[in-house]
Amino acid sequence: MNKVKTIYKKEFLDVLRDRRTLISMIVVPLLLIPLMTVGMSTIVGSQLKKTKAETHKIAIEGADNYPRLSEYIASTDGLEVVSVDDYKSAIADKSLGAAVVIPESAATAVEMGDSAVVKIYYDAAEIKSQFARNRITKSIAAFKDSVVSERLKVLGADVHILNPISVRTENVASEEKMSGYALAIFLPYIIIILTMVGAMYPAIDLTAGEKERGTLETILASPASRMEIAAGKFLTIFTASMITALISLISLTLTAKIGMANFEAGSSDIAFKIQPLSFIVLLLLMLPISCLFSATLMTISLFAKSYKEAQSYLTPAMMVVIIPSMISFVPGIELNFKLALVPIVNISLVAKEALMGNIQWGYIGLVFLSTAVLASLSVFIAKRQFDREEVLFRI
Amino acid sequence: MVKVESLLKIFRDKKRGEIIAVDNLSFECKSGMILGVLGLNGAGKTTTLRILATLLKPTSGTAFIDGINILEKPDRAKERIGFLSGDTGLYRRLTPRELVCYFGELYDIPKKESNKRLEKFAEQLDMKEFLDTKIDKLSTGQKQKVSIARTMLHNPKVLIMDEPTAGLDIIASENIVQLIYEAKSQNRAVIFSTHMMYEAQKVCDEIIIIHRGKLIRSGSIDKMRSETGMEDLDNIFIESIREVI
Ligand SMILES: Nc1ncnc2c1ncn2[C@@H]1O[C@H](COP(=O)(O)OP(=O)(O)O)[C@@H](O)[C@H]1O
Ligand SMILES: [Mg+2]
Repeated sequence: MNKVKTIYKKEFLDVLRDRRTLISMIVVPLLLIPLMTVGMSTIVGSQLKKTKAETHKIAIEGADNYPRLSEYIASTDGLEVVSVDDYKSAIADKSLGAAVVIPESAATAVEMGDSAVVKIYYDAAEIKSQFARNRITKSIAAFKDSVVSERLKVLGADVHILNPISVRTENVASEEKMSGYALAIFLPYIIIILTMVGAMYPAIDLTAGEKERGTLETILASPASRMEIAAGKFLTIFTASMITALISLISLTLTAKIGMANFEAGSSDIAFKIQPLSFIVLLLLMLPISCLFSATLMTISLFAKSYKEAQSYLTPAMMVVIIPSMISFVPGIELNFKLALVPIVNISLVAKEALMGNIQWGYIGLVFLSTAVLASLSVFIAKRQFDREEVLFRI
Repeated sequence: MVKVESLLKIFRDKKRGEIIAVDNLSFECKSGMILGVLGLNGAGKTTTLRILATLLKPTSGTAFIDGINILEKPDRAKERIGFLSGDTGLYRRLTPRELVCYFGELYDIPKKESNKRLEKFAEQLDMKEFLDTKIDKLSTGQKQKVSIARTMLHNPKVLIMDEPTAGLDIIASENIVQLIYEAKSQNRAVIFSTHMMYEAQKVCDEIIIIHRGKLIRSGSIDKMRSETGMEDLDNIFIESIREVI
């Protein structure tokens, strides 16, 4: 056991002197998280504002069929009526937001107390076209209300006859939650990936790197047992990975703090708070996953003969982690019992909830346990590899 | 000091099938004796020496280091062995002092004692000025000296070296040759492999020639000379291999 400590101490010192490890463990999380957070928030925020404030170009076909309506639409804020030859292709090439088509008999139909069908053409795949359509719809609805109240007046009735119950919605989500949501979606992914990358360089360096440099034999020939060597190396990789996770979380908390202060001062779009409890939950969740990453990466790299070979094995392994951790990007996927057992996916989902301040202890426990079981298995496999000559001395 | 008994090592390779790397090999090396292991590439030298250093497990047979069965008490055996091979590397981000103290700890040598021994090596091998320089920045010759210090630190009774001079320049090779002579004078058993006949002829007390894992000739050079009627080890070696193919 004493030798595990000796090996751990030496490996850790060695790893700390490796520039690649230092960059992936400290520099990347410290820079990447604020950059991505600020970048995401400002891009999304300013784009949203811009689109909302924009005037949308629309065309009205058959304006003469119902001048009162077309004038009403034309006078709506944020809508600018232009004339085009072919409104469908104009919408397709984005020079036009949407088009309104008023049928010939529209005016007569309404005057007769009948109903006219007005069509709106728009591109559902274009966010700007959707905004234009929404505006037109609202404008026509307002016009419709005025016609209705005229008709009711003629009949001698009050407008309220149509509104026995009126509904008003209030958004209970705080501003923090609203913009925090956008960040909570992609931050679990970033933290999971960083935790893995933090384990990657030490894992390669301590296994394939040792083979490549011809130092593995010297340590194997020493009185340290293979078990002690494996343990010392694993603990080093695990420590590096957890430090990366910790620095990522600290970086995230600081980013959120500064962002929130600026948000309140009105100069930032980041409204995101990391509650101390969320911080602890995230760190807790990173323990088993970082253990799993460390052991798995160590096993894979041990098999390789050189740094390069190990890197080529780890690239596909990286994809295996990236894809499930992106689950938090998918809207509408909620944590349930089954998903809580799917590795990485479960961490991503439960971390997303925790980032939004929604601490679900039951699921957190389940995710922690299921990942811990997997992590133990991976440690066991890693240990076994150190007993196999065909892995250590592969030619 | 070293006794090898009917060592057999079979590798199972996916492409090549079963490879008998060491085939029923037996030999002995006494204290104060230098034993050369000669063979062509692929003869089984590395495999044999790795088994002795407990890096590999033999398929059957065993060896005794200072009376200790390497299969039964590998850890005790390891403490008595200094192992060095031609492609042994060093931790480049450590300094020679850190490296030597690290191995010292693994061999349960107190830090103070490791440092004391290191100072002695530094004196002998002229290492003083780079003891606290990162190994990365050292020349090949300087690294070689650090490797020697690492190998000898725990005062091993048996020195096992696999082509220790491979790839070294003449000065660095000479360091190794000096190490071998000194180990002999200190009554250690030295087993080293080489394919440089000149080197073997110069330093070895006894020689074993192996081919495809099998022992084909063994004994002192004088004995081999009288057996073959040839003077040079080169010719004796070539003749011995011709006889078996
Ligand atoms: N880890 C291994 N797996 C499979 N075959 C091996 C392994 N190590 C050595 N061999 C094979 O065993 C034989 C002896 O190799 P080796 O002991 O390295 O010879 P030498 O050191 O004399 O050149 C060779 O045919 C080699 O290819
Ligand atoms: Mg060899």
